[in-house]
Amino acid sequence: MAGIAATPRYHRRRWRSHLATALSIGAAGFGLTWLVLILLVLVVKGVGGLSPSVFTEMTPPPGGAGGLLNPIMGSLMLTVLAVLLGTPLGMLAGTYMAEYGRYSKLTMVVRFINDILLSAPSIVIGLFVYEIMVARMGHFSGWAGVVALAIIVIPVVVRTTEDMLLLVPTALREASAALGVPQWLVIRHISYRAARAGIITGVLLAIARITGETAPLLFTALNNQFFSWNMNAPMASLPVVIFQFALSPYEDWQQLAWTGALLITATVLGLSIIARMLTSKKVLT
Amino acid sequence: MSLAIHTDIKEQAPAPVDAPALEAKVSVRRLSFYYGAYRALADNNVELYKNKVTAFIGPSGCGKSTLLRIINRIYDLYPNQRAEGEVLLDGENILRPKQDLNLLRAKVGMVFQKPTPFPMTIYDNIAFGVRLYEQLSKADLDARVEEALRRAALWDEAKDKLNASGLSLSGGQQQRLCIARTIAIKPEVILLDEPCSALDPISTAKIEELIDVLKRDYTIAIVTHNMQQAARTSDFTAFMYLGELIEVDETTRIFTNPKQQRTQDYITGRFG
Amino acid sequence: MTGAAVAGRNLTLVHDEGRRAKTLRRFHLGDLAFKSITQISALTVLVLLAGVMLSLVLGSLPTWRAFGFSFFTSESWNPVTEKFGALPAIYGTLLTSFIAMLIGVPISLGIAIFLTEICPQGLRRTIGTAIELLAGIPSIIYGIWGLFVFAPWFQVHVQPFFIDTFANIPVLNQLFAGPPYGIGMLTAGLILAIMVLPFITSITREVFETVPPVLKEAAYGIGCTRWEVVRRVVIPFTRVGIIGGVMLGLGRALGETMAVTFVIGNAHRIVPSILAPGTTISASIANEFTEAVGDLYTSSLVALGLILFLITFVVLAAARLMLMRMAQKEGR
Repeated sequence: MAGIAATPRYHRRRWRSHLATALSIGAAGFGLTWLVLILLVLVVKGVGGLSPSVFTEMTPPPGGAGGLLNPIMGSLMLTVLAVLLGTPLGMLAGTYMAEYGRYSKLTMVVRFINDILLSAPSIVIGLFVYEIMVARMGHFSGWAGVVALAIIVIPVVVRTTEDMLLLVPTALREASAALGVPQWLVIRHISYRAARAGIITGVLLAIARITGETAPLLFTALNNQFFSWNMNAPMASLPVVIFQFALSPYEDWQQLAWTGALLITATVLGLSIIARMLTSKKVLT
Repeated sequence: MSLAIHTDIKEQAPAPVDAPALEAKVSVRRLSFYYGAYRALADNNVELYKNKVTAFIGPSGCGKSTLLRIINRIYDLYPNQRAEGEVLLDGENILRPKQDLNLLRAKVGMVFQKPTPFPMTIYDNIAFGVRLYEQLSKADLDARVEEALRRAALWDEAKDKLNASGLSLSGGQQQRLCIARTIAIKPEVILLDEPCSALDPISTAKIEELIDVLKRDYTIAIVTHNMQQAARTSDFTAFMYLGELIEVDETTRIFTNPKQQRTQDYITGRFG
Repeated sequence: MTGAAVAGRNLTLVHDEGRRAKTLRRFHLGDLAFKSITQISALTVLVLLAGVMLSLVLGSLPTWRAFGFSFFTSESWNPVTEKFGALPAIYGTLLTSFIAMLIGVPISLGIAIFLTEICPQGLRRTIGTAIELLAGIPSIIYGIWGLFVFAPWFQVHVQPFFIDTFANIPVLNQLFAGPPYGIGMLTAGLILAIMVLPFITSITREVFETVPPVLKEAAYGIGCTRWEVVRRVVIPFTRVGIIGGVMLGLGRALGETMAVTFVIGNAHRIVPSILAPGTTISASIANEFTEAVGDLYTSSLVALGLILFLITFVVLAAARLMLMRMAQKEGR
């Protein structure tokens, strides 16, 4: 092939490509290194404070010994209730968008707004719930925290429910409609069943998301030094306690903050991994 | 034009000596269909006779599936699609707004091109539709499921794995499962939309045998792009082209001595 | 039972007409009810957004009435004299996000290119999954890591270096003026960059993967180098999607609270040096809301929240529109 020789021009092109490749690999290494570093530090510092007392004792006053019982329980309660509140609403909305209103204008608008709410600053959500609940009720409460977290759960569940239901093949729906099955039963028995794994994944991801959320709880559920079941009063939560303890000058509080951070991260990563396993299994069937 | 042909047939067709008089189960009158502003079917007229098989043939895009999907109003699931004219089932116009669609679809069953087993066990696939409309004891339900599977020629292959997922069957078996669940709810008309095009020749042969048995009890309409299949399985054939019914006649007549030139061209492979 | 015997069975369709009518009625009512419930739920999403906007507007009214437009231009933040101005917070929000994007976007693009073009197939899934998992780490983790690990290291090893190196260069010595606090705007920006990395990377990677392989093969086929394929085929094809993804990342960075609050220093001032402490809108609200005494103080913080919400709304809406255009182009 005359004319296609290794000219200087070609060498320059090749060199440029190699440089770009090197930079890419460098970027990947750089980015991943920081992230690995963060995880390493988290594990090392967090494990240092890990002991059974973390799970059995309440948060101590500064300089005392204690654990994270009340924030852990508080976070659990807030999370469970928020998911119970937000998931049905989110699923129903997603169902409308994928099944009844698939081609309607309302669905387009809701999808757009939902995606914005999905990434909206969570501290603003906290302000909103403060205005409508805390200011009205006159005091902070676990319920306000639940509502704030639920508002974060809803857009996530709406999005995944709609996406998963849209994946159900129309042929399946037509086949059951052709049997004379009314639409709501087609949805219940066919669509939901087919999309089940994906919807559960969505809920798991929503849980992972709110597990680490601090800002919306700062002025809704506030914090509680003691262990309490009372949802109508301020409630401790892991992220808020970490916030408070980390910014304090007390060493044992800081240690508890690291341990708490480790617990949160482990939970979030665990849930995400389970969610992935669910969807990949679904793909294989 | 199609109306003229249609009347033609009615006057000329000599009724077979040993068969009962032909009774129209479904009558399609002046049917037009629109996707938005686009007219897909123009002024169609055809009759589906009781306990007979009517095949619809024609080149791709001629509207045969569209016409079939009007008879059970499955097009109603989508916006921007509308039908004009009349489709009479036992004398009642099913295109009228007040028509209860679920009831219609319980009477007019449909089997689709692609086998679509529900994500349930084989037993539940069949029992699902039955349970909705009737309350049967476990024994009766078991019997109904068995009957449906036998009529669909699937009982022997499925009887030992009724609790397996419907998806665990082969393609041909899945299609027979779809047929079984359609007849389990005891419809009066069965619409088959290219039921064998996704299947291998052996499964196809089994299903064609099935159609022959089923027509004793049901009125059947089948859309197929396979002319030999139409010739094998049907009593009447309707040839469609570009949304119009060009010719409808007894199958033997149409394939040996068609009246329209276009029918002749299609059958001999000149186009399509 | 043989097939023939079964076929001969009674096939007259005697349906219990009364029961059937009842069933059909039940179906009809069920559909009506379920459709209404789902429709109302969908509307709730809209109501939520409207509610948030409304409550922010109402809550911030005292501030607008007291300060009017000067709220945007004033630098003072004095709870005692009750004079509040949003400028430092807005400046901080914009600056930290800008730094985060400046550093984060090129690196994210680099990682995305690495994952889609360079990385060997076997590793691709693992590293890709690792990145996505990291995108889920809560921001408070970045916050405390930033405060306890990064800031001290930055203060001892990097900031003095910047201060000394740029000491004699005209503009830069203003930007990088000491003392080295460790915490401050630059630190917050860098922490944000690390936080936003996995997020932008995974979106960009998804977008890169929409390029039809035949297109890339065609380019390689005429002898393009890898970089040329990326630069001339992949990036132009996905340009809109990349911008959309970057803007989503920007929206995230603007609203970020916990990663920033720990390391920003919480000082309502604007100074040229990016090494100095400052504040962002979300950090101000997070740090001060529960202790805010007095209607005007609280209302000013709510006003900050409104401003933040509007900024992120605009950015996120623009991002979504771009991503929608990208999806349309793909024919989805």
